[in-house]
Amino acid sequence: MIKKISQAAVIGSGVMGGGIAALLASAGIQTLLLDIVPFDLKAEEKLDPKARNRIVKAGLDAVLGANPALLMQKRDAERITIGNLEDDFEQLAGCDWIVEVVVENLKIKQDLLKRIEPVRKATGIVSTNTSGIPLKAMSEGLSDGFQKHFLGTHFFNPVRYMKLLEIIPGERTLPELLTFMADFGERRLGKGIVWAKDTPNFVGNRIGVHGMVKAIQLMQQEGLTIAEVDALFGPAMGRPKTAMFKTADLVGLDVLGHVAQNTYDLVPDDEARQDFVMPDFFRRMVGKKLLGKKSGSGFYKTELTPEWKKIRKVIDPETLEYAEYEPPQLPCLAAARGAKSLPEKMQAIVYGDDKGARYAWLAVAHNLIYAANRIGEIADTIVEIDNAMKWGFNFEMGPFETWDALGVERVAQKMAADGLAVPQKVQNMLAAGNGTFYKMEEGRRFYYDFTRQGYQPVQVSDAITSLPALKAADKTVKHCPSASLIDLGDDVFCLEFHTKMNAINGEIVDFMGEGIDFVHANGAGLVIGNQAGGMPGAFSAGGDLAFMASLAKAGKYAEIDAFLKRGQDGMQKTRYANIPVVAAPYGLTLGGGCEVCLGVADKIVAHAELYMGLVEIGVGLLPGGGGCLNLWKKMTRMIPEAVSELDLCKFFVPTFMAIAMAKVSMSAAEARANGFLGPEDRIVFNRDYLIGEAKKEVLRMVDAGYAPPLKRPIRVAGIAAQGMIDAELFNMRAAKFVSSYDAYLARRIAFVISGGDVRANSEIDEQVILNLEREAFVEFWKQDKTIARVQHMLETGKPLRN
Amino acid sequence: MRDAYIVTSIRTPGCRRTKGAFKDTRPEDLLAFILKAAVERTPGLSAEQVEDVMVGCAFPEAEQGLNIGRLATQIAGFPISVTGATVNRFCSSGLEAIALSALRIMAGWSEVAIGGGVESMTYVPMGGNLPRPHPEWSRAHADLYASMGITAENVANRYKVSREDQDEFAYNSQMKAAKAQQEGLFSEIVPTPAAKYVLGEDGTYHKETFIQSLDDGVRPTTTREGLAGLRPVFAANGTVTAGNASQTTDGAAASVIVSEAMVQRLGIKPIAKIKYYTTIGCAPDEMGVGPRYAIPKLLKMAGLTIADIGVWEINEAFASQALYSIRELGLMPHMDRINLNGGAIALGHPLGCTGAKLCATLLANMQRLGAKYGVESMCIGGGMGAAALFELCA
Repeated sequence: MIKKISQAAVIGSGVMGGGIAALLASAGIQTLLLDIVPFDLKAEEKLDPKARNRIVKAGLDAVLGANPALLMQKRDAERITIGNLEDDFEQLAGCDWIVEVVVENLKIKQDLLKRIEPVRKATGIVSTNTSGIPLKAMSEGLSDGFQKHFLGTHFFNPVRYMKLLEIIPGERTLPELLTFMADFGERRLGKGIVWAKDTPNFVGNRIGVHGMVKAIQLMQQEGLTIAEVDALFGPAMGRPKTAMFKTADLVGLDVLGHVAQNTYDLVPDDEARQDFVMPDFFRRMVGKKLLGKKSGSGFYKTELTPEWKKIRKVIDPETLEYAEYEPPQLPCLAAARGAKSLPEKMQAIVYGDDKGARYAWLAVAHNLIYAANRIGEIADTIVEIDNAMKWGFNFEMGPFETWDALGVERVAQKMAADGLAVPQKVQNMLAAGNGTFYKMEEGRRFYYDFTRQGYQPVQVSDAITSLPALKAADKTVKHCPSASLIDLGDDVFCLEFHTKMNAINGEIVDFMGEGIDFVHANGAGLVIGNQAGGMPGAFSAGGDLAFMASLAKAGKYAEIDAFLKRGQDGMQKTRYANIPVVAAPYGLTLGGGCEVCLGVADKIVAHAELYMGLVEIGVGLLPGGGGCLNLWKKMTRMIPEAVSELDLCKFFVPTFMAIAMAKVSMSAAEARANGFLGPEDRIVFNRDYLIGEAKKEVLRMVDAGYAPPLKRPIRVAGIAAQGMIDAELFNMRAAKFVSSYDAYLARRIAFVISGGDVRANSEIDEQVILNLEREAFVEFWKQDKTIARVQHMLETGKPLRN
Repeated sequence: MRDAYIVTSIRTPGCRRTKGAFKDTRPEDLLAFILKAAVERTPGLSAEQVEDVMVGCAFPEAEQGLNIGRLATQIAGFPISVTGATVNRFCSSGLEAIALSALRIMAGWSEVAIGGGVESMTYVPMGGNLPRPHPEWSRAHADLYASMGITAENVANRYKVSREDQDEFAYNSQMKAAKAQQEGLFSEIVPTPAAKYVLGEDGTYHKETFIQSLDDGVRPTTTREGLAGLRPVFAANGTVTAGNASQTTDGAAASVIVSEAMVQRLGIKPIAKIKYYTTIGCAPDEMGVGPRYAIPKLLKMAGLTIADIGVWEINEAFASQALYSIRELGLMPHMDRINLNGGAIALGHPLGCTGAKLCATLLANMQRLGAKYGVESMCIGGGMGAAALFELCA
């Protein structure tokens, strides 16, 4: 029988329950969200359905109001129905999957599961999102049929954005059901699956909380400040900017303290049990309700001056007073700043000789040892632990990857020198001549398996294509410093950008032209995509501003025009070439990156987390690489020919607004609503699937007998649209919603999109708009205020309003 | 010139755009109903005696297009001999229509004519369905197309009308309207059939009709604090809010205007004479100041002073412009004569209908109070003011 989840239920509408419901609804699954009836109902409310659903309604409202958004788009909430555990419990009978996310209390969970048992349908899957309570205890005494359908599905907060989904098999869970849920979690929900054993706090939280508590203990022992710890354990160590304590503030000190205590209580035999004991000052903070973001102040708090300036203050662990602080200065941090790659940065920190380096070394070393000692206990392989830390805590490298980056042997020696017990299995691995935890061979990644005492291939789903692996297997057919053309097999090639933030420069523009020639001669079709890391990552954050700014500074406007012309011509050539092209954007897809997708692709296969927009006006420019033309085409091309006498201005306004307001989608679903994605484009929830799915689309088009589009004149709104926009800009200007320079830029953008001085509804050649784009683009570069905007962006990374 | 007598002056309720009772009622139906009612409520008058119908409409397109003045006379069941025309001067269209019909009587060209107005802002939005400012002209003179909200902000800024004063004015408008409703003072309203589309038990929609008797935009629960809490809608750090601006509204109104000979033939007592009507231009980007210039011009024509006027209807397009005009005209001591039953902030401003609607309200109040003279005035989009003087028939 083929399993399907058409209707799911989430029990518990708190932060996690609401987040899971939002994810399911966004992924297209009908979801029933249930919570308890309030205990404190007044007599007259006891029969009022609204009052009885008050708690779950508040949970749903929190989902709708969440920032960053939990739903891909607001209207996904239409897939969520709400109810309470007394009046609507029977509805669980219709659910294919029931996930409980109620309060972390064994008795409450046991009682709930007992109630679900007789209601659930025979094939209904039941899972728990507990972060720490053993499944075994929860499901004790329940029927065999129930236990076969019971497992742990542990999401991380915020559910939409954190990739990790730990799956914890129960003792009797059906294997095929586990396989199904892992595939469902990966494919439909876009998560990264980590197989965890039924041990306290599973994988991510066990290792992560050990790391945090130990780091806090060591901070006091080694005499460091909170700000110093955060500076060390931020991006310099491949950790998120929120580092240690800002992450704790986000998680909530109560939650963190609870998880630590829970682990301590449940692991009496753990060799590092004391590492889960929170220091006294932490307990005092929790006692004083200094819980982090949720209570306004935690390790940090932000104050506003009367001038609305933000001041960040940090707590003094001794006095629990807050004070302002300066960015910490430590020699190892300076050395890390000078280092290029992440391994070099990490080495600079950990192998430095100041007190910060000493501290970082101890914190890392303890956690590496702890992680190695947990293999076999909490997970079978190092891959699970590394993935858990990357996907659940946004580390760039998990413990074993970190260990590789620092040098396994060197770390082991330093541990030994410091009197730390190097795990026997690591000693054995080194003794057998295996110097790394991971290695690449013929494009495949292998990990060291302690059980088999040898390397095993890292198992990934067939749907996942890894560009680094293909490159390691010599599948690169063309290459330049900014881009590569990679053979994906089946005569499909991938054009990969690999500049900083994948910004589009002259090299990429030229390479695209050569690449398309190559694929035309040697291949069936092209995917444009890449797999740069980071969250959300950048398919391409735009054009190479610094390059164009240098041309403008030197007054080389003709060169700017020529650069654009090359870009436009290359894209037009690709668009009309006799090969199907699929773009696979994800994350930041801005400016030039967005123009590539709109301009060359027959189809876009986008990751669900897509931040797509034409944002050039922010730096005083307009889309000059075909963006004005192609967004207009995208907005209007679905109009059937039979629809004549149409008011094109209705299409013009949203096209203009998107560009003039630099509108960026907050998800792929929103990009579709904004008109950047069309009905033929696809949204994929798992980013790792993107290249593979894009390739499938190319092959589908090849199979269907691909014919390139015919270049035809396009209908434009013409001069009628300009009058309309001028009048509206007058109002916006009068209202002080825009500056006079914004209005100048916007007016010219309207001119370009409308096709220039032509009658309304004229049919014109595409080239006209491309020419108008370039003229305006060069004109803008001649304006002081554009130069100022660009300068500001290059220096601060933020737009300037002038 | 002969005198022109208004013998009947009535209106439908004003109902909120897209949310109100008339959201599913076509403007032709509102207009046809009120035209028919105007004839029926004039004793002895039959439709074939009406020679012409002038209808004010600010956006005569789509459902209000073609020539709604003619279409509605036919829908109302008037004989084909009765002609109709559409008149547009934006917010004074309804008054313009009354003035044009009156002039025809005064000139001796007709004995009976109707002047009225209609606007369904639900069906045809302000600005129309296809706004098309002249591209070359608007490059340098976009102020001609300034949004009404911006002009209201301009008036507030240039002439220092504070947010507090605008809100207080708006609050009073609401309170007066609520009180007038409670006391049943809107005697000029004719309960009007309205349509709605209702999902039936068979799972399909059906049109149902019901009778609407009240202006549905009045908010008796308005508080000063509530008004103060609203955000400005038209400008960053502005002062004009949804609470101190007029409501967008659906409605229709009509007045029957006859000659003295016809008054006698019908043997009825006329309500009032329309004495003078005038318009004047002002800067488009502060069109709200219109009444401040139109009213002195009107009074000068009539040889009257503000003290002579017993009742005023000064349209509340925005509190800022109404208040500014009132202050500049020295009318502050006479607030108890202005917009007695509230104004457009509470009752709505169905653009092309407003001139005819305010006429009906003004005459009802003049009759009730026995005021000899009444003035109706409003500002007009594009930068104009209009004003008319009415004299009660003793």
